[in-house]
Amino acid sequence: MSGKINVTINGAEVTAIENQTILQCLSDSTIEVPSVCYHPSLGPIETCDTCIVEVNGELVRSCSTQMKTGDVIDTTAPEVKKAQTMAMDKILFNHELYCTVCDYNNGTCEVHNTVKEMKINHQSIPFDHKPYEKDYSNPFYRYDPDQCILCGRCVEACQDVQVTETLRIDWERDRPRVIWDNDVPINESSCVSCGHCSTVCPCNAMMEKGMEGEAGFLTGIAKETLRPMIEITKGVETGYGSILAISDMEAAMRESRIKKTKTVCTYCGVGCSFDVWTKGREILKVEPQIEAPANGISTCVKGKFGWDFVNSEERLTKPLIREGDSFREAEWDEALNLIASKFTEIKNEHGPDSLGFITSSKCTNEESYLMQKLARAVIGTNNIDNCSRYCQTPATVGLFRTVGHGGDAGSFADIAMADLVIIVGSNTAEAHPVLATRVKRAQKLNGQKVIVADLREHEMADRADLFVRPKAGSDLVWISAVTKYIIDQGWADEEFLKNKVNGLSEYVASLEGFTLEYAEKTTGLSKETLIEIATSIHEAKSVCALWAMGVTQHLGGSDTSTAISNLLLITGNYGRPGTGAYPLRGHNNVQGAGDFGSSPDSLPGYQKVFNDAERQKFEQAWGTKLPSEPGINNHDMIEGMHNGTLKALYVKGEEMGLVDSNINHVHSAYEKLDFFVVQDIFFSRTAQFADVVLPASPSFEKEGTFTNTERRIQRLYQVFDPAGESKPDWQILIEVANRLGAGWRYEHPSEVMAEAASLMPIYSGVTYELLEGYKSLQWPVNPDGTDTPVLYLDGFPFPDGKARLFPVKWSIPVQFGEEYDIHVNNGRLLEHFHEGNLTYKSEGITSKTPETFLEVSPELAEERGLKDGTLVRLTSPYGNVKVRCVVTDRVKGKEVYLPMNDTGDAAINLLTSSYGDKDTDTPAYKETKAKMDILQYEGVNPLPRNNFRYGNPQPQIGVQVQKKWARPDYIFPGDLVKKERTQHG
Amino acid sequence: MAKAITKIQQIELSEEQRRRKDLEELETALLDNKDAIFQSLDVIKHMHDRGVLSLLGGLFSEGDKVLNVLVKAADKPEATNTLKNLLLMVGVLGTINVQQLEPLLLKLNSGIARVAEYKETEDKLGYFDIVRSLKDPEINSALTLLFEFLKGMGEDTSGLERTTQLPEDQDLHQSQEGTLEHR
Repeated sequence: MSGKINVTINGAEVTAIENQTILQCLSDSTIEVPSVCYHPSLGPIETCDTCIVEVNGELVRSCSTQMKTGDVIDTTAPEVKKAQTMAMDKILFNHELYCTVCDYNNGTCEVHNTVKEMKINHQSIPFDHKPYEKDYSNPFYRYDPDQCILCGRCVEACQDVQVTETLRIDWERDRPRVIWDNDVPINESSCVSCGHCSTVCPCNAMMEKGMEGEAGFLTGIAKETLRPMIEITKGVETGYGSILAISDMEAAMRESRIKKTKTVCTYCGVGCSFDVWTKGREILKVEPQIEAPANGISTCVKGKFGWDFVNSEERLTKPLIREGDSFREAEWDEALNLIASKFTEIKNEHGPDSLGFITSSKCTNEESYLMQKLARAVIGTNNIDNCSRYCQTPATVGLFRTVGHGGDAGSFADIAMADLVIIVGSNTAEAHPVLATRVKRAQKLNGQKVIVADLREHEMADRADLFVRPKAGSDLVWISAVTKYIIDQGWADEEFLKNKVNGLSEYVASLEGFTLEYAEKTTGLSKETLIEIATSIHEAKSVCALWAMGVTQHLGGSDTSTAISNLLLITGNYGRPGTGAYPLRGHNNVQGAGDFGSSPDSLPGYQKVFNDAERQKFEQAWGTKLPSEPGINNHDMIEGMHNGTLKALYVKGEEMGLVDSNINHVHSAYEKLDFFVVQDIFFSRTAQFADVVLPASPSFEKEGTFTNTERRIQRLYQVFDPAGESKPDWQILIEVANRLGAGWRYEHPSEVMAEAASLMPIYSGVTYELLEGYKSLQWPVNPDGTDTPVLYLDGFPFPDGKARLFPVKWSIPVQFGEEYDIHVNNGRLLEHFHEGNLTYKSEGITSKTPETFLEVSPELAEERGLKDGTLVRLTSPYGNVKVRCVVTDRVKGKEVYLPMNDTGDAAINLLTSSYGDKDTDTPAYKETKAKMDILQYEGVNPLPRNNFRYGNPQPQIGVQVQKKWARPDYIFPGDLVKKERTQHG
Repeated sequence: MAKAITKIQQIELSEEQRRRKDLEELETALLDNKDAIFQSLDVIKHMHDRGVLSLLGGLFSEGDKVLNVLVKAADKPEATNTLKNLLLMVGVLGTINVQQLEPLLLKLNSGIARVAEYKETEDKLGYFDIVRSLKDPEINSALTLLFEFLKGMGEDTSGLERTTQLPEDQDLHQSQEGTLEHR
């Protein structure tokens, strides 16, 4: 580790940390050194030369020079200032200062601030236009080469943080610029519109389109007027000082009308947080912050640019009541009274268990808490579930069986620092994009090894050190075989097993059948491959296993999850930083919905309804008897509707009518309900079956907390007032409960959290104060407010502190008749979230990905005569879809991939069955087979050419500053100053 | 049996109802800001009386055009030079020490007053007259002052100039704090 060293800075003796760069050390002190290209999240880029200081008589870049003991550092010598000024001059040659009429003049422009700090009044090399046009082609951001200072931050972020590897600076040309792929327009490149470049750009070169003409008071001026205005500003310049003073004034004025609100993303389970910049109800931009605990400066296209749905004209703004063959808008009072009277009537007539409640993993923790409290304490039923039943409940079961906590073992930082990352059944780069960037970066820069097991060669598979394609649904077999091989080789972590794990001998016995030969036959992976995997695990000092729906959405989803956890236990990969199991949660609050008791057998904090002591704690707090029998889950609710035992259903924020499997079956179940309440922000497919539809508010319009896949609890703040007469879900739930006589008096979500925390041991120390701003907590949170970023450091949450090896058997996947010869894999796309009800509201996203498509392999295309655009019908025993093909080698053989972003004829769940995981009823979405008919050979390619999948990435490390230094017109300012000195001297 | 339906009948507010709702909102807003509104009305009345309102009306209704004309007019060398000189003069004014300047200005004033009273005559001033004048205490002190001034003028101030120097050569950048106060 780095020790303390003594150095001299500007004549004063100072203690510093060894191996810190000079710039890092100075930024902790009061001494300021300019640093235009440096960004704390990107590290030294070394393109701008403005951070030059003198060290032991030499002029060096302070951003990249590490401190050594005894260094004598001077930041104020005239030569230092001279060199810095020369560097800044080069920057201003590339950047025109028209700050007052610039949309980036918001107090954070590095160029502006550095000019001011350095008190630069003039430049010796005047600004000169570059011979390039602005690139407006991308729907979300634009690049203005003329304002680009060539600092390379965007390239660094694209190459080494996001690792899409699209951006470069072409240092070869006379006037260098940023280029996309092989110098194509942005919209025709491999750019995934993640927004990293516009986030880190220090000036107005790379800018979000939402900002343009909107941020400033004078920036909306017509183009023809703007140019002369810039000329005036420049003509008048008596030196930049006075101009900057005016623009500073204007920047200060902007504060009064631009609101910046911290929120947490409501798409996937990564839990990105960022500031939203708004002007009235207009969203100017999303600005991730360095201190954001899960994502830092990172976002994906949805989090950065996918918020149009909030202001969509299609938002529900008034309650709807079914009347004959149409809905009519109604007042809140009428709708709420109707719900109360119907619920009471049905409860009195058929008992509380004739009602079912589905809460949302899109809603806040507080809202899930209130929903289950409504079901349990007000109605008196445990019939409460949420959509994690569709995705990650099996993973939770697998972890409870083995290690005792149903959550990720550590943080993203642990995944990034692991020696080896194993990804099973997870299209991480598209389903959890920001988390994927951490793996891609660690692999690219730090030599992390990545093994991917998947059917489809998605981005992570493409990048993996080892990519294997086991037969669909056979993961348990190869994982168990690898585990057995490791044990047989004597590679198990004996010490760890002896001290921290129970059940070894039974478990070892259960593996007997999982020989390499058996695994080779069952999974299609060769013995050599299996041994290679085992060896990689053995050789890695730390292993993280990541998995998602490719594991869980099978008949044996819980068992496969268990097998992964068993493997980690056998190899001692728990309870240390950089190790553990990471079931990647699909929605922003899947983890939280589960934590807060949205399941038929669990009260908040995974306390069991059938455990008297735990249940009685809640009975006491809520002042009512609670049912002790577990209720029924989503799946059984559908069956209950069909056989007439479930009469009423209340669905909150869940498009169950599209995302549940076998939706024809689900829809006919809805039709049998006596009374159906749907609460949503849009008139969803599910809502079409409702008797009452309540208009809710999305995350931008409320306060509360979300818990991400790292078990990280984060606060969101209200950006807008609720649209129309819509209301935050927690307020609606209170009104429903109170009309049923509950007498709830919560004024703010913080009061709900306070009550929940007092009842949930894993949340016991959580308060809103501890979560202020960008602060977060990872559960378990102790009563004193300390949290647990890495689980199991002090043993496992079982009575004796030891984990449990849990023997599992392989479940043979659902068998289909021979005519169903196509295996239909399905899942997410990067740019659309689920069925797309939120993301299709974004014009930009829709322009790049207007509809879903069927990925077919070149082999299948050849065999059946399929082309890009061919319209096919897939028919399973449960229904059929019509969709157009895209031929791609991401899929192989008779394996096709149907992304789920469709609400009509191509909705995947028209095909899926009602089979489910034998332990949790999670639908076996991934065990779907169909036959294919061709409806029309020729057709329009459903994936337009401006989609990033056609791009041509250009990987390189960073911005390649050496190429800049090698240019004949480049001389290091430090050398230039020295040369002048010798000449003059 | 609840089939899926997609038809939604919106609550149609009649023109009358919508008008009443809008008026109610307006009324509340007016009442909430009673004092501010009366005061604004007063200001508006004065503006109307002076014709400011119609002027502004024209300006705003043709905003982009007016601004364009204005900006184009200003975007000429003379105009930008005027603005530039103004800004520079403001800078120079800031460097003048009025405390020191005041006595000098007073003396200058009295000198000007004398000149104003002076009548053109045929009398020529000879060398002896000049030497004799040196004994005149008023003239003597004026000359001492003048010599001091010339001395100061000869001092090197080029380092302070902002219009002729490269930034890195300016004294502003040579000083440690980036200010000129402790020179």
